[in-house]
Amino acid sequence: MITIKNLSHEFVIGKKGRQTIIPVLKNISFTVNEGEIVTIVGRSGSGKSTLLNLISGFIRPKEGEIWMNGVKVSDLNEAKFADFRIHHLGFIFQSFQLIPSMTAFQNVELPLLLKGVSERNRRQQTEEMLERVGLLDYQDHYPGELSGGQQQRVSIARALIVNPPIILADEPTGSLDSETEAELLEFIKDLNRDLGITFLIITHDEKVAEIGNRTIELRDGQVVEGIVLA
Amino acid sequence: MKLGDQFRFVRQNMKKNKTRVFMTILATAMGCAFLIVLASVGFGLQKSVVKEITEQRIVTQIDVHGKELKDGGFRPITDKDIATFEKIKDVKAVTRRNMLQQDGIYSIGRYQAGTETYVTDFPSEVKAGFELSAGHLPKADNEIVVGYDFPFVLGTKEEVEDLYDNKGHVKKKYRYPENLLGKELSLTVKQLKKGKEEEKKLKLTVVGIGKKPTKDWMQDRSVFISKKVLNEIESFTKTPRGMLLGPNDSPPEKLNVKEDNYDEVKIYAKNMEAVQKIVDQLKDKNYPTYSVVNELKEVNMMFTIAKAGLIFIGTIAILIASIGIYNTMTMAVTERSPDIGIMKAIGANPKTIKQIFLLESSYIGLIGACIGTAVSYGISYAVNFIIPLIIKQAFGKELPAGLTFSDIPLILPIICIVICFAVTLLSGYRPAQRATRVDVLKAMRREV
Repeated sequence: MITIKNLSHEFVIGKKGRQTIIPVLKNISFTVNEGEIVTIVGRSGSGKSTLLNLISGFIRPKEGEIWMNGVKVSDLNEAKFADFRIHHLGFIFQSFQLIPSMTAFQNVELPLLLKGVSERNRRQQTEEMLERVGLLDYQDHYPGELSGGQQQRVSIARALIVNPPIILADEPTGSLDSETEAELLEFIKDLNRDLGITFLIITHDEKVAEIGNRTIELRDGQVVEGIVLA
Repeated sequence: MKLGDQFRFVRQNMKKNKTRVFMTILATAMGCAFLIVLASVGFGLQKSVVKEITEQRIVTQIDVHGKELKDGGFRPITDKDIATFEKIKDVKAVTRRNMLQQDGIYSIGRYQAGTETYVTDFPSEVKAGFELSAGHLPKADNEIVVGYDFPFVLGTKEEVEDLYDNKGHVKKKYRYPENLLGKELSLTVKQLKKGKEEEKKLKLTVVGIGKKPTKDWMQDRSVFISKKVLNEIESFTKTPRGMLLGPNDSPPEKLNVKEDNYDEVKIYAKNMEAVQKIVDQLKDKNYPTYSVVNELKEVNMMFTIAKAGLIFIGTIAILIASIGIYNTMTMAVTERSPDIGIMKAIGANPKTIKQIFLLESSYIGLIGACIGTAVSYGISYAVNFIIPLIIKQAFGKELPAGLTFSDIPLILPIICIVICFAVTLLSGYRPAQRATRVDVLKAMRREV
């Protein structure tokens, strides 16, 4: 489902002539199988977020290949990656990344809008999704009017609305209290079990790491030898 | 993303900053209204001038003055030329007249009138639209047809101060009271012979009266005599067309009148559209002409230049308004960068983002253009209503009826909307382009 081959990345900082190169990821290779929940753990600065951003296509790798669903996404241009994203990927962010001027309904509906789904189908699917995450009664609320847990549920509903086979999550429980965190992790497990969605989760939280079928540890931009099975 | 959804999305975004969008639309509307009103003055005055020209002349009439010769001189039109004219496509009729070169004095009893006298070819006049209101066309040489207004100028021979009314007609109390049809008039022609004025009187019978001219301002006082009567006059005056000699002139040794030379030749086209083609063909054959088309061509050329200048000045106003649109769109992109980042992160195509912003700028431009157009119609109406009143109050002068100061033909709002659309699209392009380059990570970290 997701294959990373010899992925390396570095950041160049400073002005021309006085540039400093900071290697972030060094020759990383691993595979995530269909229907798996894989968590990536590591200390701060280990390159977890950079790895997720590379897989998401938000930054382009310097070296190596990224394959998803049989597509070599590391070769796709911005427009083609955008199309790939809208059809195959769902995202859950630590800070939810909801558009504050849109209601919960509009935020969840947005991916369908971008996909060009008809208004009637959009309404039906969005309402179904909001009901599934238990927020149908809050559909007209703006993100600022919702709790952190509710906002993250809106964010999950937005990720799920296009039925993506893969969900990429970056510290999904980072902004939640422990009770809400537990609820969310249960929900992720349910989605994985019921819908067979593959999850790749970046976390430094042990509780989150525990829900994964496998955990990959990153240290100084490299995969630590020996994959930890959950 | 479907266009309809993009449109709804744009409207939603515009509602987020109503004041700024309103001010931008207002500036665009003002620019458009300025352009339209400014250009409408050119259109309005052109309309008035063209109306004036077309009302003063028969629009399908082409005057042919002669034939230009290779040496630069001219010769009069002959029967051969007329045959050529008649063969030209869309020519309805070719009238030819010879004019008596002195005012013929027509009298009956104690009434008289001095007017222009012609010899004409009646079949071609009839083809051109000449009709009689009473009587018939001449059959004998001493029979004449008079114009519709001739009976109105046949007034008393006595010296009276208020002979004429404001139309130039002899007042009814001084006018010949009876129907002229069938009456015998006496035509008096003069000539200086050995320094002494001699007169000749010819007896002519009125057999027809022309129909009232179609245009109100036209008057037909002419009298149509036969070729034989003109010959008779020429043999008395010893000059072609009965021309009067000066005190020091002596008559030509030989009269030398060419029968088929015409003083006044008019071609009538079947419709106004055909006039230009006929004029072009005549020009190619070295016949100088004059028609309403010639006059309109010059007037239209002058006004086209004026209108282009006015539209150009108006466009500057729209360009100034476009700075507002550029500013609004740049602000919108800056403000919405986090949202753009989120949209890109979940799969919005850069092309879609660009389209949304271009749609927004052009939408602002179009709303502005539509409001500007509506306002300019109001201003145009007000200008046409108020300016004559102001001029009357300030200068005490009445303007000609039907004078249009400002006219907005459909093409003008279309031009304005096209210019406005193009300008707003251009001014929105750079911000839209910037929106597509928003860095997803920076945007999501609220660093843009």
